[in-house]
Amino acid sequence: MSVELLKITDLTVSFPNKDGSLHTVVDHLNLEVRKGQIVGIVGESGSGKSMTSLAVMGLLSEDAIVDPCSSIRFNGMELLSMSGDERRKVQGNTMSMIFQEPMTSLNPVIRIKDQVGEVLKLHTDLSDEEIYKKVEEALNNVGIHDVPELMDKYPHQLSGGQRQRVMIAMAIINDPDVLIADEPTTALDVTVQAQILKLLKKINEVTGCAILFISHDLNVIKEVCQRVIVMYKGVIVEQGRALTVLKSPQHEYTKRLVASMPDKAEPQISQEKILHAENLSVYYPVKKGLFSSGAKHSAYVHEVSFDIYNNEIFGIVGESGCGKSTLVKAIVGINKDITGTLEINDERPQMVFQDPYSSLNPAKKIGWIMEEPLKLKGVRDRAERKKLVNEMLNEIGLDESYADRGISELSGGQRQRISIGLSLMRGDKFIIADEPVSALDVTVQSQILKLLLKLHDERDLTYIFISHDLNVVRHMCNRIMVMYLGRVVELADVNELYTNARHPYTRFLFDSVIGEDAKKIPEGVKPAEVVETKGGCSFYPRCRYRCDKCREQMPDLIDIGSEDTSAGPGRPHMLRCFKDITKETPEVNRISELPEGKLRQ
Amino acid sequence: MKKRNYYLIIGIIITVVILVFTIIGQFWTPYSVTATSSSLKSLAPSAQHLFGTDNLGRDIFSRVMNGCGTTFFVAVCTVAIGCAVGIVIGALTGFYGGMLDEVVMRINDIVLSFPSVLLALIFISFLGKGTYNVILALGVLFIPSFARIVRSEVIRYKSQEFVKSAQVMGASNLRIIFVHIIPNTKVSLLTSVAIGFNNAVLAEASMSYLGLGVQPPVPSLGRMLAEAQGYIVSAPWYAITTGIVIVLIILGFSLISEGLRVYQD
Amino acid sequence: MRYFLKKLSSLIITLLVISLLSFAAFSVIPGDAALAKLGTDATPEAVEQLREKYGLDKPLPERYLKWLAGAVQGDFGASYRYSTKTVSELIASRLPVTVIMAVMSFIIIIGVSIPLGIIAAKYSHKPPDTVINVGSQVTMAIPSFFLGIIITYIFGIILNLFKAGDYISPQKDFWACVRYLIFPSIAVALPKIAMVVKYLRNSLLAEVNKDYVRTAYSKGNTKDQVFKKHIFRNALIPVITFVAMVAAEILAGSLVIEQVFGIKGMGNLLVTSISSRDYPVVQAAVIYITSVVVIINFAVDILYQLADPRVRYS
Repeated sequence: MSVELLKITDLTVSFPNKDGSLHTVVDHLNLEVRKGQIVGIVGESGSGKSMTSLAVMGLLSEDAIVDPCSSIRFNGMELLSMSGDERRKVQGNTMSMIFQEPMTSLNPVIRIKDQVGEVLKLHTDLSDEEIYKKVEEALNNVGIHDVPELMDKYPHQLSGGQRQRVMIAMAIINDPDVLIADEPTTALDVTVQAQILKLLKKINEVTGCAILFISHDLNVIKEVCQRVIVMYKGVIVEQGRALTVLKSPQHEYTKRLVASMPDKAEPQISQEKILHAENLSVYYPVKKGLFSSGAKHSAYVHEVSFDIYNNEIFGIVGESGCGKSTLVKAIVGINKDITGTLEINDERPQMVFQDPYSSLNPAKKIGWIMEEPLKLKGVRDRAERKKLVNEMLNEIGLDESYADRGISELSGGQRQRISIGLSLMRGDKFIIADEPVSALDVTVQSQILKLLLKLHDERDLTYIFISHDLNVVRHMCNRIMVMYLGRVVELADVNELYTNARHPYTRFLFDSVIGEDAKKIPEGVKPAEVVETKGGCSFYPRCRYRCDKCREQMPDLIDIGSEDTSAGPGRPHMLRCFKDITKETPEVNRISELPEGKLRQ
Repeated sequence: MKKRNYYLIIGIIITVVILVFTIIGQFWTPYSVTATSSSLKSLAPSAQHLFGTDNLGRDIFSRVMNGCGTTFFVAVCTVAIGCAVGIVIGALTGFYGGMLDEVVMRINDIVLSFPSVLLALIFISFLGKGTYNVILALGVLFIPSFARIVRSEVIRYKSQEFVKSAQVMGASNLRIIFVHIIPNTKVSLLTSVAIGFNNAVLAEASMSYLGLGVQPPVPSLGRMLAEAQGYIVSAPWYAITTGIVIVLIILGFSLISEGLRVYQD
Repeated sequence: MRYFLKKLSSLIITLLVISLLSFAAFSVIPGDAALAKLGTDATPEAVEQLREKYGLDKPLPERYLKWLAGAVQGDFGASYRYSTKTVSELIASRLPVTVIMAVMSFIIIIGVSIPLGIIAAKYSHKPPDTVINVGSQVTMAIPSFFLGIIITYIFGIILNLFKAGDYISPQKDFWACVRYLIFPSIAVALPKIAMVVKYLRNSLLAEVNKDYVRTAYSKGNTKDQVFKKHIFRNALIPVITFVAMVAAEILAGSLVIEQVFGIKGMGNLLVTSISSRDYPVVQAAVIYITSVVVIINFAVDILYQLADPRVRYS
């Protein structure tokens, strides 16, 4: 019996343009997946990777044109010449698919058991009881804890991780020969992402089901795939063993993709404080009932204390819901409901936002948008404003013609450039960048990070840099603050934190980052349960080093002193934990090592 | 895909043609609007009398040209009242939220659950008949539909980052609402203006048909249709031509609103 | 259950507000009922006497409570115009025919528009869809009273299928009445059919491109199965609310269409009472009509909650 499972030959997919010409999204693609193999397709948006997966699955939209010379052979059968009925016997049976957005990919009005069971209803003659049993079993297999309750629930009642597990259960319940996973972890938090990847690998090992894994994230690909295919504008530019390709890329595009992290200049430690926060709590209004008067509110950020010094790049990391955005809103003055001390020496910090598609006003021209801060600052002379806008456009790598363009004509990267320029228009030196590159393609990311570093050096700026991407933070920041459920749990210089993380949560975050060897994802850690323990440490429910004391009492944030001395002797290392976990088996630092940045000018 | 937006094109053509005839009709008509003549009673449509004549010998085409003016006048006034007040209420309640928003939206919900013809009927019960009462009643009734559209758009946009960005720059709330957010609601507002015209014409015609709106001797399409119904056997063209003009006016506006909706997608 | 109680309490509050508003509105109208009945040249003594008879000399809050107590039991006092009849009797004689016509129109609308909407969505941007689209765009623009006149002309006068004006009340002969109401019901229903078809089609098409639909296809469902099992239920949720609006529109349409076909129902009663300033009747009619609309909305809210688990469990 041949080991060949799926063989794509000369696959060409096009879409008709407005003017009737054809726009090719996948161009003569050849690809082979063997039994039990995990093959990755990596590329940016528009590279054709998703179109390839949809073509294999038979889910291309009706206006897609598949070239008649194309062939997709699966288990020895030609998929492209099949009738609709024959194709449907394959779909969901021997070939199945999981999608990027688990929330929207599940039907909101159908119970979980019926959605998962539907695949069995369509492809087997099992009775309802047998189906129920198999569904239960499948949900157990994908690591869902409270299966009996979950069966009767609807998708909106589940967490993101649970939903993706349900999607996976649905995909594997019929024991498919190949599973197509289209960005299955992109919409998930870092820690959940690691668990889902582990689950997919386990499924592959246990059932021998081959996986075609589509992702834009090199680290994820490196983590799960044996072979990798790099796609760019519909064409395969490179393929081979995953580790080989990503360690020593040959093609120009792959090189850019891999070496996409710029490096910061060496920190110059200044003693001039630009921001001083002490016991700062930030509150948020809780939704009011119709008849209750007076806004109830609860703290989202609890008594944080930190300083930011002139000219440094200060990183804040943590999962969604850790309070970083709330903290930022307080710093820029949008949220004024705070207690404690917050002193800022600069006029007012400006912000670069995450989503370049919503951070610029779609009804206005670029020129108008960039003049607005000047108008608000009181620059009355129109010519003066225009001149300043033009200068800024040049500085951010665009040109003066952009002033007359609308937002819709710009790419994501260009929009983010405008956003950065906008934050500098008033001439302020303190900038907060909230996930400034996480919505961008990898190669564009590096350009924007480079621009940020260039402006930092030229204009003596100070940044607060927020990101969930620990690789980016490491390359950009001088100091890093780790937050968990509204509290600071650890704060240290970047080298110290990455070599000598002491808080269990920091370690957990670092371990969840996909490295070359992620076999040791901490087993003792439960999937995200956000539980506030009464008076105790907020990480207690998820901590594997916990003890009784942690349940009773919240540890203080104390300085344990930095071990790393690369930034000078006697640097502080703030930690909020009773246990000194360095005494236990020290974890190897598993942040993936990306090749040294060659892009630094 | 660049597809011709036929809805919009046809809608605008219909509306403009009728509007031109209406405007001319306010200054000049082929025949007198009010003069009756016993020799010209109930003539079928001909080259002299495009739409024929009515039971009193008046030229129907002339009366329709002139009567459309009343219809448009009522529609413009009511939409203007509804739109202006609706934008302010919707923008403020949407942006600030809170208790006031809850109360205003409850009232809106109640008003919106009634068809405008029905509500106008109820209002007229209180206010009495007459053109200006119809304008007042419909104008007030249209406030909620505009307020709701603007409110939901404001809520949609206020959580977007460009609004936060304006806040961080130091823009005042009023500037954010009216300079940054409202320009974004242009297309939805245009759509609701077109729907508003559609409803206003329909409601005015219904009121006048029932004898509760425009009072004689001012010609109005709805009233003419009511008169025409009595002569449906002897002069069917009277009802048919008048009715078709009403249909065309409404169709014009509904095509425009549909076209704008397609454009928005 | 909490949801139900919340909606129920808001229903009761809304009804109270409506009663208060309509009472207050008729109390502040210049020239009160006594004057309206007697005319401006009546002697002051006569007006005073009549005021006492109707209880108009008492303070407003007292009159409201007394009126409300009566209204709850269906007693709206006496008509000014028909001195021999109470308002309740008048309404009782007029309400059934309006209700019958509204129900008939509703059945026609639902029966015709759901299949048409599904066909239009399934063959979107293909000939069946285009025909349905253009058709509904045009019918939507025809006011129901004009449609009524056209129907009378074509079916009544040219084809002689029924005699306009030969209305028989349901109390006299129920089935004859229903037969007479067929054409008026169609006149009411036609523009609304167009609205529902369009709304259902757009609602279905809005679902067609959603991610869960792709999931359903990836499981090996046929297009029919995907529509039936997945899309239809999701698309129906917004349509339910819309149908409530349509129900209210039907009521409004019936009120107007009664004038066209000479039907002696609530609409006819309301219009003649407004013209003759018979305020107790107008007030009662307004209360009846608004209550029906508010109660339909309440029922729809409950239905909506049953249809959408996201509302049910939140």
